[in-house]
Amino acid sequence: MSDTAAVSPSAPNLIQRIRRDYSPLVIVMVSLFLTVLLAGAVFTDDFLTWFNVKTIIRDAALVGIMAIGLTFVTLSGNFFLLSMKEIAALSIICFATLMGAEWNQWGPADGDPATSALVATFLIAFLVTMVIASIAGAVQGALIGLGGNPIVVTLGAAGLFFGIGSWWSDNLVVSYRRPHGAEWLGTGSFIGDIPNITVAFILIAIVAELVLRYTTFGRQVYLVGANRAAGRATGHENFGMAIKCCIIASVCAAFVAVAFSGQVSSAHVNYFSSEFGSSGDMTIMVIAIVMVGGNSIMGGYGSTLRTSLGAIFISTVDNMMVLNGFNSGARVLAVGLMIVFSIIVFALVRRGSRAVE
Amino acid sequence: MTVLKKALRFAAAVGILGAATTAATAQSIVSFNGPAGEAYIGRFIKGIKDTAALKGYDIKVFENQFNQAEQDQQVQQVLAAGVLPDVFIWWPSDAVAGLGSLRALAKTGIPVLKINQLPNEQDKQYIFGYAGPDDRLRARNAGYMMREAAAAKKAAGGEGFNVLVLSYPHSYGGYGLSINAFKEAIAGSDLNIIGDVDEGFGQANGYKGAAKAIAALRDEGIHFVYGMDDAILTGGIKALEEAGYKMGEDVVAVGTVCNGDKQLIEEGKQFGTTLQSPLHEGQLAIKMVEEYLATGELANYINFTPNPAVTATNMETVALRGYDGKLYGIDELCSGAWGG
Repeated sequence: MSDTAAVSPSAPNLIQRIRRDYSPLVIVMVSLFLTVLLAGAVFTDDFLTWFNVKTIIRDAALVGIMAIGLTFVTLSGNFFLLSMKEIAALSIICFATLMGAEWNQWGPADGDPATSALVATFLIAFLVTMVIASIAGAVQGALIGLGGNPIVVTLGAAGLFFGIGSWWSDNLVVSYRRPHGAEWLGTGSFIGDIPNITVAFILIAIVAELVLRYTTFGRQVYLVGANRAAGRATGHENFGMAIKCCIIASVCAAFVAVAFSGQVSSAHVNYFSSEFGSSGDMTIMVIAIVMVGGNSIMGGYGSTLRTSLGAIFISTVDNMMVLNGFNSGARVLAVGLMIVFSIIVFALVRRGSRAVE
Repeated sequence: MTVLKKALRFAAAVGILGAATTAATAQSIVSFNGPAGEAYIGRFIKGIKDTAALKGYDIKVFENQFNQAEQDQQVQQVLAAGVLPDVFIWWPSDAVAGLGSLRALAKTGIPVLKINQLPNEQDKQYIFGYAGPDDRLRARNAGYMMREAAAAKKAAGGEGFNVLVLSYPHSYGGYGLSINAFKEAIAGSDLNIIGDVDEGFGQANGYKGAAKAIAALRDEGIHFVYGMDDAILTGGIKALEEAGYKMGEDVVAVGTVCNGDKQLIEEGKQFGTTLQSPLHEGQLAIKMVEEYLATGELANYINFTPNPAVTATNMETVALRGYDGKLYGIDELCSGAWGG
């Protein structure tokens, strides 16, 4: 292939570049998958409607935001935070407890409180939750940065955070009454009929991608992830990077917790263990999204844009299957196949790119 | 010094005698069940522990994380320890896969009470009875409630009786019991099931399942929603509201279990639910143990917890007397966002 390209008088076109850069197996697999997806989209009733497109992105929003945060950890070469759902669990208990706390009610004792009072209650609960999530992230990041195995550290932290949330709430549902200041985030929409959480997902995806592409911090993430020794040689230790990336992931998890609590006006320590995704486990679902997005598990290669598209892709396939009447078993199978497929394709692509190099 | 030694010996003797007497009189229970971290099971555990303490039983609770292999291991550990209780309470994580452990418990000769999941034919040879909810009655009552709401709508000149079902996963044992009982209850009415989504347990999955079903069914029209439990239904109601439906006007929602959101019923967004109280279930289990230990048998082999209907009109007055003699209001009996 490269010989052909070398004798060609003009630059190779897209098809030529694809044939040059990727193995026939990868091209066949991706083509097959895209064909199936396109056929499903065309032949599935009610799939290509504005309402359903909104549903797909809304469906992807919560897990997508978490996955975007986790992508920073993965890109920096620190594997995964296996405590994502437990950080969310601790955060949702913290947020709901503060939303319902008597000392945090700023309106009149009787009657509906003014909007400013609702906002004040929300802001206090939100900020305290974010601080706690940041601390949770920083502690994990510091331990990983000091050389701790990310799997061991984050599994241990997961138990710690879940235990604190469980003890704090006494395993009960913590609820607070509507109207409240988190409703605008959980169920509101200020751009037409697009839910605010969908807008938040899109904004976070854009900001995260811009940070990774165009800031010094973003380039450092890739550098440390791709080659830790090179990063150290240029003064970028993994210690600081691990702390920063884990804080970003934890804050994203806490944001999702706040948004979900705002939607259901309550919290329970188990909300993120059994309620999200076909796999029934939010951490697994979030990791699946990062993998399906084609990010390198070893770090240094990938992007939050890929992760966002991975979230939408999984949501799209799941949506299509529901519209075609598949039950949960088949949908779990589909998610599993997507992960395996993406890992195979990614491995082949990497092998192909190394061969080109 | 001698007097002091004598006094100490006497005190020790009294202590040992007292402990021996207690050990001889206090009967013990071992319960195998799911984790307290799950809201329903957490309240169930509170029910069995408090009632056991009240009745003077020693109780040990072994929690598994919805994992039959873990529960099997706990059973083996208890049996290997050699100190057996007077009664086992058995809530299998998976009724079929857990049959081996149930058999092992029964082989010890210690009586076993099965709870929460109705016994099948294989279970019956190993247990002395069942205490727990009746999925069918719960679903049937929900069907009757919806039927009542549909009749009122028709009488008022309303049109449209399409029903969306937000289900448990179809692989879950309670699904078949619930959907069949619900269908039987609405048979012969104007109600017509047009969709059945099984996204999963809980509010988030209820929301996601409903959102997808709305995309598929909005042209056909959704007029009623049956949630197999209130947590799923709560998510579904949010999805319907986001899609522009006015709950209570465009769509009538009926749930079960009472593990959702009290405020939805207060606001008329949810027509009603049927109570399934975990606290009561825990108390009922101890009551059955007490009856068996006293008489050697149960008056009734199957013992269901009551499932009264709860609507906006009766929610402040519904109360059940617990097996500890206390009267419990709805906020204490329910397990979702009901104030505790």
